Amino acid sequence: MNPPSLPISRRDFLARTAAGAGAGLVLGAPNLLRAANADGSDKLHVALVGMGKQGRVLFEAMSNIPGLHFQAVCDIWDYNLKGGMAKVRALQGHTPKGYSDIDEMLATEKGLDAVIVATPDFWHSPHTVKCLEAGLNVYCEKMMSNTIDGARAMVRAMEKSGKLCQIGHQRRSNPRYRYTRDKLINGHKICGQIVNINGQWNRAVASSQDIAFNPKLSIKPEILAKYGFKDMQQFMNWRTFRDLSGGPISDLGAHQIDIFGWFLGVAPKSVFASGGNDFFKTREHFDNVMAIFEYDTPQGGVRAFYQVLTTTSAGGGFWESFMGTEATIKISEIASASAIYREDSAPPWDGLVERGILKRSPAPPKPAPSADAVASYESAAPEGFELPGGFNKPAHQPHLENFFDAVRGKAKLNCDARHAFESEAPIYWVNPSALSKQPIQFTAEHLSV
Amino acid sequence: MSTEEPRCCSTNPLALVYGSLLLRVWLAVRAIQTGVEKYAGTSVTEQVVNVDGAPNEYGLTAAGAVKQYALENYHGVPQALMKKFEAEPLMLKFALPLYDKVLGPALIILGLTILLGIAYRTSLFLLGLLYISLTWGLVLIKQDDGVSWLGVHMILIVMALMLADHNRLSVLKKG
Repeated sequence: MNPPSLPISRRDFLARTAAGAGAGLVLGAPNLLRAANADGSDKLHVALVGMGKQGRVLFEAMSNIPGLHFQAVCDIWDYNLKGGMAKVRALQGHTPKGYSDIDEMLATEKGLDAVIVATPDFWHSPHTVKCLEAGLNVYCEKMMSNTIDGARAMVRAMEKSGKLCQIGHQRRSNPRYRYTRDKLINGHKICGQIVNINGQWNRAVASSQDIAFNPKLSIKPEILAKYGFKDMQQFMNWRTFRDLSGGPISDLGAHQIDIFGWFLGVAPKSVFASGGNDFFKTREHFDNVMAIFEYDTPQGGVRAFYQVLTTTSAGGGFWESFMGTEATIKISEIASASAIYREDSAPPWDGLVERGILKRSPAPPKPAPSADAVASYESAAPEGFELPGGFNKPAHQPHLENFFDAVRGKAKLNCDARHAFESEAPIYWVNPSALSKQPIQFTAEHLSV
Repeated sequence: MSTEEPRCCSTNPLALVYGSLLLRVWLAVRAIQTGVEKYAGTSVTEQVVNVDGAPNEYGLTAAGAVKQYALENYHGVPQALMKKFEAEPLMLKFALPLYDKVLGPALIILGLTILLGIAYRTSLFLLGLLYISLTWGLVLIKQDDGVSWLGVHMILIVMALMLADHNRLSVLKKG
């Protein structure tokens, strides 16, 4: 059965953020689960709501997971709907039912176990709440909603319905991230005291352009209006509109800022952000955003800097770097962008290497002495290490596997709606801080359900 | 003083038989295994990484390459060389795919006939022709090391033919 509801009162909130260890439990203990499939067979009957780009990414990852039956597909755009149904047919040999309206789907389809929601952000909350209220388990893409109130409604609906609601912060199920958090940071404490975090998603301007569409395939204006879009251009590019999404800090940053709090085990106490329309001058959302979060942990204060750029890819793409007194762990969904560096003054790690906990990186060639280096100011170069292994699956697959295992009652969710909310709540305040050019000190009103 | 001419080689019948057998086996093994290797491929498998002497519970894996033999792996002429041959004006383009298909089985068959002693001289002769064809290709693409290597093989084949009268343990002595 679902655990009892865990609403955070203001008193609870203050107590938890003040005492880092307590807050660590808040961010680290996922929802316990229950559940069984609807017809008692081994197959789980799944509906796909939203078969755009992200919906297809999730479907491709799910196509590797045994025991799933894709019963229905729903999308308001006929092009996506037919394409999604064809993909399902190619996978399972027969065509699923297709719907353009989720209400009709929920009223018609019987025996569903789970729904995968990959609609635009401003539909996440209404769609997830509907499905939970219909008694279905939900996997919903992040960001939970374009508004913090929408996210709050999802937490309440999950806890009221007693159904599962996993939010798509897929790094929480990534074996490399879980190993890094559990074994290296919390277990062997290889970083020493973490004092700084850096994270970034630098995306090329070419990848950030408006998405074009064939006018012949446009959705009828009355249908677009019914679902909250003023025209096809807005439908295709909803991520750039303030009423429909949280912008780049939400689209890209949420994945990584989630990891800051998850690894530290506490929520931030403040955010100070800056953003601007430096290149895409007509867009409603900032194209480039930089934010500094401050955390109080049991070990001491941590400052975390995050930047999202939609105009430049240089700088190594996307990664998060946890910098401590004894080591730095740079981790990314892209394994090749990850690295671990031991500070020269840290205790030796030979034992960790012998036990297979870490792998030593091949030593880079020593640079020739250069005349412009000021030797007395330089630190000794840190020694390079790696995780002992990786994983060879689509990035979203482990998180979806975790969800379906939880639906079968074999696992607990790695990122249920409440834990996702605790992670996402600070992110909702980045744009307001940048707009007001003021730091925001978090209170219970900012971060609690 | 002895009137006998100094001999450079042993004429001891047993030594000649042994020499013939050694050459025969060497040439056969060389041809058979070269042919078999053309069916070799690599399959990449994910293996769970051990931490503290046991498989880790996080599912971290490492890719391990395993060599495997299968008909579908067959490649007579290595891909890199194939492209170079295709770019050669003197190369008969229509014959190249056929040669690619035939090379591996031909090496195995000739290696087996030499090993078993079936039409021994003819088999050696055909193997020599095969090595000449390879030599011609390598000359075209200026692989001088390979040409020299094949030249050594040709010397061995000629020596085997010269010792063929001392060959024993043959299934079929004709030819």
